[in-house]
Amino acid sequence: MKKLPTRVKYWRIGEPMVWLSGAALTTTLLTAIVLLIVIMVNGLGVFWPSDIQLLELKDGSRIAGTLTRTEPTADKSGLRRQYKIANRDLYGLDFRWIDEAQIAHEEIPANMLTLERMEYGDFYGTLKSLGHAGQQDPATFAQLESALAVVKADLDGLKELEEKLTAASYRMEKLRLKTLKLDYNKAPADNPERLEIESEKEQIKAEFADLLEVQLSRTAKVREATAVFVSGDGREKEVVLADIVRAYTPNQMSVTEKILFYAGKLVELFIGEPRESNTEGGLFPAIFGTVMLIFVMSLFSFPLGVIAAIYLREYAKEGLLVRIVRIAVNNLAGIPSIVYGIFGLGFFIYGIGHSIDTLFFPERLPTPTFGTGGLLWASLTLALLTVPVVIVSTEEALGAIPREMREGSYALGSTKFQTLVRILLPMASPGIMTGLILAMARAAGEVAPLMITGVVKLAPALPIDGNFPFLHLDRKFMHLGFHIYDIGFQSPNVEAAKPMVFVTTLLLVLIVLVMSSVAIRLRNKMKKRYTFGTF
Amino acid sequence: MNPAFLKKVKRNDRLARWVITIGGMAIIFSVIFILILIARVSLPLFLSPEKALRADFQLEQAQAQQVATLGVDEYLETGYLVDRTGRFDFFTVADGSPLDSVAPAGEDTQRRLLTVDSYGRLNHALIWDDGSISIVQVKFFPFFDAQNNNQRSIRHRVEVLGEFPAPESGMPVRSLARSDGEERQVRVDLFADGHLQATLQQREESFLGDVEVTEETHTLSRKSAGAVTALTMSHNGNQLYIATDAGEIERWDLSDSEDPVLLEVVHAFADQRKITALDLVFGDVSLIVGDARGELTTWFPVRDEEGVWKLTRIHQLPGHNAAIDYVSPTLHDKSVLSRADGRVQISHMTSERLLLTIDPPGEKIATYALSTRGNGLITLSESGRVDSWELDIPHPEISAKTLFGKVWYEGYAEPSWSWQSSSGTDDYEPKLSLTPLIFGTLKGTFYAMLFALPLAIFGAIYTSQFARPRFKGIIKPAVEVMAAIPTVIIGFLAALWLAPLIERSLGSLFLSMILVPAALMISIALWQAARKIDPLKRVERGFEFLAVAPVLVMAVAIASVLGSGVESWLFAGDLKQWLFTETGNRYDQRNCIIIAFAMGFAVIPIIFTIAEDSLSNVPPSLRAASLALGASRWQTVWRVILPSASPGIFAGTMIGFGRAVGETMIVLMATGNTAIMDLSIFNGMRPLSANIAVEIPEAPVDGSLYRTLFLSAVILFVMTFVVNTIAEVVRQRLRAKYGRF
Amino acid sequence: MAKLEIENPIVQVNNLKFYYPGNARALHGIDIAFPEKQVTALIGPSGCGKSTLLRCFNRMNDLIDGCRVEGDVIIDGENIYNRNTDIIELRRKVGMVFQKSNPFPKSIYENVIYGLRIAGEKDRSLLDERVETSLKGAALWDEVKERLHESALGLSGGQMQRLCIARAIAVNPKVILMDEPCSALDPKSTARVEDLIGELREDFTIIIVTHNMQQAARVSDNTAFLFEGNLIEYGLTDQLFVKPRNKQTEDYITGRFG
Repeated sequence: MKKLPTRVKYWRIGEPMVWLSGAALTTTLLTAIVLLIVIMVNGLGVFWPSDIQLLELKDGSRIAGTLTRTEPTADKSGLRRQYKIANRDLYGLDFRWIDEAQIAHEEIPANMLTLERMEYGDFYGTLKSLGHAGQQDPATFAQLESALAVVKADLDGLKELEEKLTAASYRMEKLRLKTLKLDYNKAPADNPERLEIESEKEQIKAEFADLLEVQLSRTAKVREATAVFVSGDGREKEVVLADIVRAYTPNQMSVTEKILFYAGKLVELFIGEPRESNTEGGLFPAIFGTVMLIFVMSLFSFPLGVIAAIYLREYAKEGLLVRIVRIAVNNLAGIPSIVYGIFGLGFFIYGIGHSIDTLFFPERLPTPTFGTGGLLWASLTLALLTVPVVIVSTEEALGAIPREMREGSYALGSTKFQTLVRILLPMASPGIMTGLILAMARAAGEVAPLMITGVVKLAPALPIDGNFPFLHLDRKFMHLGFHIYDIGFQSPNVEAAKPMVFVTTLLLVLIVLVMSSVAIRLRNKMKKRYTFGTF
Repeated sequence: MNPAFLKKVKRNDRLARWVITIGGMAIIFSVIFILILIARVSLPLFLSPEKALRADFQLEQAQAQQVATLGVDEYLETGYLVDRTGRFDFFTVADGSPLDSVAPAGEDTQRRLLTVDSYGRLNHALIWDDGSISIVQVKFFPFFDAQNNNQRSIRHRVEVLGEFPAPESGMPVRSLARSDGEERQVRVDLFADGHLQATLQQREESFLGDVEVTEETHTLSRKSAGAVTALTMSHNGNQLYIATDAGEIERWDLSDSEDPVLLEVVHAFADQRKITALDLVFGDVSLIVGDARGELTTWFPVRDEEGVWKLTRIHQLPGHNAAIDYVSPTLHDKSVLSRADGRVQISHMTSERLLLTIDPPGEKIATYALSTRGNGLITLSESGRVDSWELDIPHPEISAKTLFGKVWYEGYAEPSWSWQSSSGTDDYEPKLSLTPLIFGTLKGTFYAMLFALPLAIFGAIYTSQFARPRFKGIIKPAVEVMAAIPTVIIGFLAALWLAPLIERSLGSLFLSMILVPAALMISIALWQAARKIDPLKRVERGFEFLAVAPVLVMAVAIASVLGSGVESWLFAGDLKQWLFTETGNRYDQRNCIIIAFAMGFAVIPIIFTIAEDSLSNVPPSLRAASLALGASRWQTVWRVILPSASPGIFAGTMIGFGRAVGETMIVLMATGNTAIMDLSIFNGMRPLSANIAVEIPEAPVDGSLYRTLFLSAVILFVMTFVVNTIAEVVRQRLRAKYGRF
Repeated sequence: MAKLEIENPIVQVNNLKFYYPGNARALHGIDIAFPEKQVTALIGPSGCGKSTLLRCFNRMNDLIDGCRVEGDVIIDGENIYNRNTDIIELRRKVGMVFQKSNPFPKSIYENVIYGLRIAGEKDRSLLDERVETSLKGAALWDEVKERLHESALGLSGGQMQRLCIARAIAVNPKVILMDEPCSALDPKSTARVEDLIGELREDFTIIIVTHNMQQAARVSDNTAFLFEGNLIEYGLTDQLFVKPRNKQTEDYITGRFG
């Protein structure tokens, strides 16, 4: 054989292919890392109170805003900056691009304020005066803060009233449904129950009117407290203090203060209610909805999946049928989730739900009770979708248990069931857990089937509350994944909604990644235990 | 041993056996079975329509001969007969018992009706023998009696919409009139000498409240040679169609009261057959033409190359054996009723399906009327029998052809595959072709696989064969975790972060497609020299993928810096503009490049995991044997490992394909969701899955759209099921071969 | 064919035939009897059916779908292939130790009392006592008494096998079946288990399958030689090894095949 020069040989033996396959792996991993970095960078910075700059442009106009991005101008001659200028009610936009060449002067004035408001997003500007019922007096930030505290206390008082009002309207609704039922049963007009309901209705109505009056007058009173702020370009804006969620001076805050502020915002994120069509405020209903969904889904998919797997692995006779079933089950895991969704719609909602309505709530028709999307149906649909995951991993776990374990147990005179409960299930539990966690992670991230089985952008009430029967499985709910889709794609102001989408994304990614990492660790640990064990 | 306890234990065991067996089988079969239920929902799409004779009764011969036309309400409860004196006799459909009787056009015993021209929602143009015309509308409305337990009854009212006096120029042989009830009335008369006259009446109310009526009479000078055999006019009286016994059709525009225009004369049939019946399909766009040979066709104007609108034959509907003597449209969809030799056929224009034939044995239908909702038909036969039929035509517009084939829709320049399920108006022709959606699914999947397959398979090869075990222990779980990233997140990032980024730096993207491989090649070539140095050679023991990372990052960085420069140098500053002007490709922001990246990213972990598993499971002895024979590590992989693992890699590819086919959120967010059939990588698409997600919330339960969406779910299901089953069978074989998996 | 005449055998096998799924016959009519409180070794080349025969005695073969048994196995006066035989009772009477030690992933204590637990025994003091006697009986007590509640998976291979023996004797069986109990053990552990078998002979009838003829010679009182599903020779161990009557037996024990 002729000896080849090393250089030729290097190519001939395919060494570069090794490098190329390495590059393929690296590309994959880098893509994943870039994805995570993008989410982190965009998500983590959202709550950080950045400095408000005051710019003076060459044409003499002044702009206050926080710097969000810098990039080359379209003609590549210089840089341009994107500022969040807030004050949507004054400017109509939240962001503005400014060429650096236009900036004459920039500063970070200490007295700039950020107001988080109930409406129109943030406000950037300086405080001019505090006022009450038309009377305006110059004030300092400290005075504003104390005034805000007073207003907040008043608002908390109002919240109690609000709750009472909600309770009253809930009772009213219950009575309305009762009346509907009586109507449906053709109860005569002088039915004692009917009369009772009527009198109760009257009573609640009166109560309601009183409460409403008190609420209105108190609200009006609270709303008398206002403050006048001056925006960066010198325009004045009167803001009702009750509409201010939070006021702070980012330019004066130290790093510690900023961290504390950040933590405060995080707490709000977890326990707060959403505002401004979900683009501000907290995620509590979405988090709660997601958790409830996962919980109810697990209640169905876990036992069903485990029983099915036990049957397949321990009780069914190995044969063609079991092989086919196993293929089918593995196959089910690969069926598009939207197909499950449409099944949930056709079978659960329009099939079972509608039957429940006609059987149990005929008086409410045509308003559906269970015949419309809701937590129960969404959970069942997801349970169906995740049952194969549980079956496959439970089966795998049971199959990984050495035959000797079963024989050892039978040889001591135990029944199949005893062997199952005392030996097999405890040994398979990490595998079963893996399946369950993977199923839960899938449920947390799945959106498509939920969209057609009961998830909504803004649920009026949580699925659990203080009203009998406490757990309302027929209610619609919110979900983190859908939240992302909804505020990222359905909200009128996508640019302003982006920060919130990234925060939600970050949260969801964290939840899902932590869950699946735990599951995969558990599984690998189990594999090791049986592969390299001592027997 | 305690016998009682033993008994208990055994009882428990038996119980558990039963519960688990029954439960397990039930769960598995129900999970499989319920998916079959989806198919059941879409099945009615293909069922034949049904008819049922609800009631019949016999009219007396004398009365029967007096009947000019008849009608029925949409509840099939009340019907009416219009006799020659213009009297409306209402009756109960169930038994024929008479209700009230009205003469809306006045009790004139002298006038007799020549004929009644019915159009629209129970509008009747009563054409009198003195040449005058009355347009009468019958209205039915449900009434709930509050006194009597909210009992429902159907009440009716007869209104006169318009009146036309007899034309001054003599007695017409044939007349046609339309009134919109408010502003405009149009009357067209055909006289015995063959000339046509149009009377256009315009009522205008000035803003002071004065009513001004202008009336114009025009003689329409025909250009066609044959004798006029059929006439029809649109509801608003703007379009007039005239057909002759020589197979010609004239199309007139009467919208300008002062100047009726003859738009064109069409020689509809080469054999110059006699056209016997004309009417307009619901929506007044398509013309129904029935001819003496029993053929039924529909026509509408299509713009030709010169931009001239030409009446064109579009659909050929199932015909009759005898000359068609009457055609009429349905009032809620694009179906057509036609009568020939005493039998009535209902067929649908879009699907060209023959839906039902009403052919009472031994009877010849003289007159018929369809209820406004199309759920009932009342017929009067020549012998005087009145039959009322309940019709069940759930999905007339669906056929294999409309679902998958090219269809020439109203207003389109040519036959096309289209999906457009709804519109603001009632008279809309739904376009439910699944072909563009299936095409969209396959297109997205194709580009995604193009991106994912090489990365996943080569990555798996590297991980299983070349990487150090320590790295393998990290990479494998990391990729598995990647698989768990919710697709809604990938879709969101693709649409709101990646799509604008790529749109901004399209030049850089293409540049990096050249630069990255080039940089790799150059660095591999350079490496040859470097690897001779001993500490560096250790990189070749499973560190390559780390060493190559800086090269990749650098190449991408250089590409992104140079991208805009190259774009301005080669493509006059704007690649997108250049693409459009030079190649005619429109650049959508959310296009296949984005889908390739995003969906590719979603399927890489799946393919990677399965491929890696099968590669790792190739017995080490094979590898050792090959290496011992002096093969290099790549040769070993290429010639020994890869062939043995190829079923696993194939299975992974199949499962990845299945996943890409069914992926919903990514495509929903990162494609434009336009149902176009275009292979261009710069355009978006609309796949089946996203289509379901978008449309199902709006689809009325059990409607055609609803069932079609279920059908598309079935198609998705079948596609993934086939692919997954192949993969699963391959995997089980592999498992049997290597013992474990 | 050689036969050993035994009075009052505890296990009596009459014309036992065994078929694996697909009608592959593994035993072709075995007649054999095992004396009480003695050690009987079953030897023979791989695939001769010795393990199958052993597993017939506690109906472990029932776990294989589709296998079939003909003939009688009478243990303690009862045909265990009767329709109404209680398999659970049978297996409590006939303990088994496997080739691979298979302690459950539980504590040592729980392993030993597993058989009692599944029989519903809850009396703590009785359990404690039984753990001690069984572990002592298996010569393991001194090694593990300090860590009874630690996982059994932390024991060495030999200890695990002795734990399995302790687990088997804890339910007080009449017969203990041992399926090549030492094949996975190192020589030292093997010696300890062999010693243990010698001690257990006092209380239990032991049937041991081994492919190690030295071991059979060392531990057993009687030896049966099986070949291709037939019992070729059965006799006192001393006689069989010294003066086999059958040519095949001689070939096997002299190492000409197997």
